[in-house]
Amino acid sequence: MSKAIEAKGLVKRYQTKERYGFFKSKVEVVEALRGVSFTVNYGEIVGLLGPNGAGKTTTIKILSTLLLPDEGEAYVAGYNVVKEPSEVRKHIGLMLTVERGFYGKLTGRENLEYFAALYGLEREYAKKRIDYLIKLLELDKLGGDYKLFEEFSLGMRARLSLARALLSNAPVLLLDEPTLGLDPPSARRIRELVKNLAHEEKKAVLYTTHNMFEAEIVCDKILLINKGVIVASGTPGELKAKLPKLKVLILSLYGQSVENLQRTLGDLGLKHEISSELNIHTVRIHVQRPEDIFNDLVKKLVSSGFELLSARIEEPTLEDVFIYFSEGYL
Amino acid sequence: MSIFDLMRAEYILIYAETIRRKSELVLMILYPYLFTGFVLLLGYSAGSLEVFKSRIGVDPAIFMATASFTVMSLMIGVDDVLWRPLWDMWIGTLPYLIASPVDKFKLFTIMPLPRATLIVLLGFTSLLPLYILQYGLSGVILVLLVTILIVIGVFTMVPLGVLLAGLIHSIGESWRILSVVRPIIMVLLGAYYPRFYMPLVAKLLSYTIPPSHIVESVQRVLVGLVDQWLLVLIAASIFLTALYTPPSRASLKFWEKRKVSEGVKIS
Repeated sequence: MSKAIEAKGLVKRYQTKERYGFFKSKVEVVEALRGVSFTVNYGEIVGLLGPNGAGKTTTIKILSTLLLPDEGEAYVAGYNVVKEPSEVRKHIGLMLTVERGFYGKLTGRENLEYFAALYGLEREYAKKRIDYLIKLLELDKLGGDYKLFEEFSLGMRARLSLARALLSNAPVLLLDEPTLGLDPPSARRIRELVKNLAHEEKKAVLYTTHNMFEAEIVCDKILLINKGVIVASGTPGELKAKLPKLKVLILSLYGQSVENLQRTLGDLGLKHEISSELNIHTVRIHVQRPEDIFNDLVKKLVSSGFELLSARIEEPTLEDVFIYFSEGYL
Repeated sequence: MSIFDLMRAEYILIYAETIRRKSELVLMILYPYLFTGFVLLLGYSAGSLEVFKSRIGVDPAIFMATASFTVMSLMIGVDDVLWRPLWDMWIGTLPYLIASPVDKFKLFTIMPLPRATLIVLLGFTSLLPLYILQYGLSGVILVLLVTILIVIGVFTMVPLGVLLAGLIHSIGESWRILSVVRPIIMVLLGAYYPRFYMPLVAKLLSYTIPPSHIVESVQRVLVGLVDQWLLVLIAASIFLTALYTPPSRASLKFWEKRKVSEGVKIS
């Protein structure tokens, strides 16, 4: 398979100013990307997964010719994003923030017709393509065909945004958090469509998200990005296999003090995460053999004044993988 | 890519924005009358109709209505180009515009045409009864001549608009600069304050604005000076337009490059 997207050592630095009063400021250089390299093949969905500020959108902006990298090279459909931006633009379908990016006083169809003209589509072809996309994304059922964009719900806006990305039938799709803030049916519809586009129509899809569940069910390959660096890559299964042979012991406890709980677990030297609601605490402990520590742990917790409500053992999730690679503390 | 498809798309966009936004439509229709009324009121309070007529050589109502029509139409050539990147940035369409394969110069050149068409048609229908009242049936020919000159003027304004747009938007907080540049251009056009009465520096600056020559030719038509100078003025305007076209294309490329190097904002 040929490479649809190829990024080689992408570096991007931003200058930010720290203000001290009205007149004093200090310029600080922030490295948004620190040598990002990856490839995406045709027919493949690659997820760029990371927390806010990890460098996902910066990567998408460079690949869509909306930002120049400071170092490194990137190719989309074989064209250099810096030297041949016009060619790159002909070969990409772009979906950025879903809630904005259209003309409020135009209907969904009129908006698509406008962008079809920008993409240089012949009028007859554009009309057929828009009819097809409106049906595909079920915008006709939602009234998106003739409603003004300003009257669209968030779900309709996301569908219209995806329709625009698909207008020119470009072989490479760059989708930046396409399901962010959507209701479950709209999010599911978009995920299904993206999977079909890659696997049936052999489009290359770069899909950014910070939703682990989504990445796991949509993407063929995942790139974990954190602080501008790709910390791990592979299929969801491969990534989980890269973890040390750890399991997750999940305890549900009732008790007064989180501090006391943290102290008790800290004394035992166990790496853990705690989430609490009212006086019920859920503890996730990563260990190789949970059965070895279970009895002693429960005794210690009970003697510290906690009541055990439930306990179970789980295989690590993609979230655990992400925490392991980005924070390295499992 | 067909330029007509692009034009059609721009016409639909601007007409939807104008017609579906009722306040804008009403203002657009009322604006020339409001402006003329305001300027006439100001004029009456400062002097008499006879003084105006003796100094300028035209009935003040005709002069002011024509000047309003001229300025409104010509400023579209600058306004729609200058404000459009800001509008697109505010509503989030700018990244898609930049990331599309469209020739940006072609797009920006087309941008003012829809609103200019609307204004020219509105202006024509507003002026027609006034001219007939003043000049009789020959007023129809006169208003047609003025409208044709103004249409030429709109086209000659666009490259200057694009040139300024590229330069101004390459600088941060461009909207502040725009609100200074726009009134200066409006004054230097010489529609309300004929170039003939301007101080030397303003007069020289006015000569560099392509449609200012069209404004002068409209004023010559109004005072009945229809001679070969009219052609000279039109030629000067077209010559300046041709002169401004290459730098305006370069300025737009510079703006795009600048935007991309600092990163196009997407939210």
